[in-house]
Amino acid sequence: MAKTININGVEHPIDVDENMPLLWFLRDRLEFIGTKFGCGSGLCGACTVHVDGQATRSCIIPISALAGKSITTIEGLSADGDHPLQKAWLEHNVPQCGYCQAGQIMNAASFLATNDKPTDEDIDNAMQGNICRCGTYQRIKKAIKSVAYDLAKEV
Amino acid sequence: MNEHVLHALNEWKASQKQDDTIPTPIDTSMSRRGFLKTMSIASGGLALGFTIPACSTTETKKQASAEVKFNPSGFIHLSENGDLLLYCGRCEMGQGISTALPSAVADEMEADWQRVTVKQADGNKELYGPQNTGGSASIRKMYQPMREAGAAAKEMLIIAGAKVFKTDVENCYAENHFVINKLNNQKLGFGELASLAANSPVPEKPTLKTKDQFKYIGKALDRHDQGLVVEGKRTYGVDTKLPGMKYAAISHCPVLGGTLKSVDKDAVLQMQGVIDVVEITPIKHPFSSLGGVAVVADNSWIAQRALAQLKIEWDLGPNKVYNTKEYKAQLVKNVEKPAELVTERGDVAKAFSNSAAKVSATYTGGHLCHAPMEPNASVVWVQNDSCEVWASTQSPEDIQTVLAQYLGREAKDITVHVMMAGGAFGRKFKCDYVHEAAVISKQINAPVQLIWSREEDMRTGYYHSINAQHIEASLDEQGNITGWLHRAAFPSIVSLFQQGLDRAPANALGQIDNHPFAFNNFRSETGYAPAHTRIGWYRAVYAIFYGFAFGTFADELAYKAGKDPVTFLNDVYDNSTPIKNKRKHAEQVQRSKAVLALAAKHSGIGKELPKGEGIGIAVHYSFNSYVAMAVHVKVDGDNIKVLNVDCAIDCGQVLNTDGATAQMEGAVVMGMSLSLYTEISFKDGAVVNSNFHDYPVMRTSDMPNVRVHIVDSDEKPTGLGEPGVAPFAPALSNAIFAASGTRYRDLPIKPLTV
Repeated sequence: MAKTININGVEHPIDVDENMPLLWFLRDRLEFIGTKFGCGSGLCGACTVHVDGQATRSCIIPISALAGKSITTIEGLSADGDHPLQKAWLEHNVPQCGYCQAGQIMNAASFLATNDKPTDEDIDNAMQGNICRCGTYQRIKKAIKSVAYDLAKEV
Repeated sequence: MNEHVLHALNEWKASQKQDDTIPTPIDTSMSRRGFLKTMSIASGGLALGFTIPACSTTETKKQASAEVKFNPSGFIHLSENGDLLLYCGRCEMGQGISTALPSAVADEMEADWQRVTVKQADGNKELYGPQNTGGSASIRKMYQPMREAGAAAKEMLIIAGAKVFKTDVENCYAENHFVINKLNNQKLGFGELASLAANSPVPEKPTLKTKDQFKYIGKALDRHDQGLVVEGKRTYGVDTKLPGMKYAAISHCPVLGGTLKSVDKDAVLQMQGVIDVVEITPIKHPFSSLGGVAVVADNSWIAQRALAQLKIEWDLGPNKVYNTKEYKAQLVKNVEKPAELVTERGDVAKAFSNSAAKVSATYTGGHLCHAPMEPNASVVWVQNDSCEVWASTQSPEDIQTVLAQYLGREAKDITVHVMMAGGAFGRKFKCDYVHEAAVISKQINAPVQLIWSREEDMRTGYYHSINAQHIEASLDEQGNITGWLHRAAFPSIVSLFQQGLDRAPANALGQIDNHPFAFNNFRSETGYAPAHTRIGWYRAVYAIFYGFAFGTFADELAYKAGKDPVTFLNDVYDNSTPIKNKRKHAEQVQRSKAVLALAAKHSGIGKELPKGEGIGIAVHYSFNSYVAMAVHVKVDGDNIKVLNVDCAIDCGQVLNTDGATAQMEGAVVMGMSLSLYTEISFKDGAVVNSNFHDYPVMRTSDMPNVRVHIVDSDEKPTGLGEPGVAPFAPALSNAIFAASGTRYRDLPIKPLTV
């Protein structure tokens, strides 16, 4: 029986060359196009997804390493686009072209899950791998901080 | 349908049968009321459909043919249920134009923005006007036509409402998606009136709102599509999927003008999933493919892997001699000696010999590549009787021209679906990647998606010019500038269109000759600088290096004159004398000084700062907009930390204050990348950089606190996509000098050795 990979809660058989990076399995095989190609070398973060909750660059991780794992993509981050970060992104009018934002949000979501009271430096360190050429960094930071602030209030 | 509306509609139909005339306004010229087309009326009342030929996405067709009743221009499509679909004719790449322009339509139309859906128009200049999106020109060109289109639609809806209310038009007005009868406050929704309104003639001269009546113009509006972005549902050029579509990856000759010597396809063609290997030869057009070899496969991964295994040999051609390190040094030599005269006013030599002090400096900068996050990508399907393109592009018209030339067909037969671009910055004006996808599609007879790798994007682009400028100026006893000599040498964009050009032509030095400083004793010269690579528009274009040279040199002069930079700049503006147009010059001076004052005030320039900190300031006028930036830095050895940026802008009437603010934040980031880090280097004719590790664009930890201050202006609106980039580099360089005493005149300041 073929190995499978769980993507956004659904099992998919791995029916491609096992060296194929997850990014292309998502984009070309399953046609989940929310995850973006930016550099192909793990340098820009546009392709960030969660592997068992951990932010991972899908352009460099081969599908063979992911059998039995659970993947979350931007399409599966929340049921109705209502993840606190997605809401904060709208609140702070973050996107310009928007191409890198799925990766930014996925990276931030994974980071905030492990650090709900981040300092500015924590945010910089966590988000340093995600490039935005339009220059939305200031708003991204504000959006992340606002979510962290809300999380802290809940505790 | 509302029975009163139905009744009015039937009355109208009956009247048409009697005199058999259908109102057909004639004027469809671009210049006046431009886009107010009347095809809907001509095609007949209720049955009017959605007749834009180029809109063929299934979704649009369904929505349109089922519901759209009122279609007074290519931009406006009102359905009976009140849904309003507005098209954006200009290309969206993140600059926010697809929110700004439709909001101007909605404002004048008195439409409810919550009922508006915005879609990107396909390539069709007849219907949408000029769509090639560059030069920060969209708002400058389209603000008025968009308002007129909205205002005309509103008047037609009011006429329809008055018919139903059986009262005079003067008794009716429109507000927030309704037409209201003033006499009794009866209301009819825009949707209810759509069919009837479609039967009115499009007014020749609709009355536009006054500024105090604006609801959306000049306010902060959310981007219409940001909800899609955060859910990963916004689709870009790279996201198009078609049944039966194949995937391609491409490798280009690394040196401009080189040709394919040989390619051994056999092994690759045996690979599972590989469909074909396609050789692409350039055509005679500046936006043609450079020439390359593509592998077509069942998916992008196989195509990329197979391409990497392909054995390709190139004849590199004469440009293999190009080395940017030596070339830049040569440019410096070329501007530090007399060059070809461009403009001369007064007597520079005399001014120099009578001066109290003289200052000279040379400024340089390297090539840049745009590196948008979405690399070049397009889908093309060439069939015997059609050619359809889905591409992130800044110029659908150029795609039509290039593919028409390649295929030997009419431009109008090339259908271009303009996709949202994942960044563009000037790169996607040039459609070489679309030409390539067309060649591949034609050869394999199937729709093809071509995606360039990041490496190809970086190594075979259209680059911002490497450049050198030398300025000499004289000062009198009071520290006023008395003479200005300005030499520039850079391979210009004109070299794309004009082979053999050995230096930048006179018009490429226009920003020097027409600078608001307007010196009486002035001389500009252009130095030898042939192109060895493709030169292209990069966000802010020549303003990047002109802004750097003017802004930094002004600061150097201020120190020489013993004045603080803000006082010095004000004095320069005050003492400048108009060259040609007195009124225009007076306006330039006044608006430049206003943004300078605003940035200075908010930055606190002049106040005491801790050791190692400094604030620098610069003003630049470009693309008809005025921007001043004050940059506050902390310098500790080689470590340069930008703390705050105060950015003041005057772009006339602002459309979307939040969009304007975002453009300035982005301009700071792009300005910071190119000031501090990014440079494309050539060795033996080929680009050395390959990806973001050796083309280190700015990342989040460097983000300063950017504060944007907008001048409240009633002047005609001008663009903001580019003007914010120019003043950053000089303001930064001036700030570093203020903080540390070190003057940087070569960009980038902290180059990575590659």
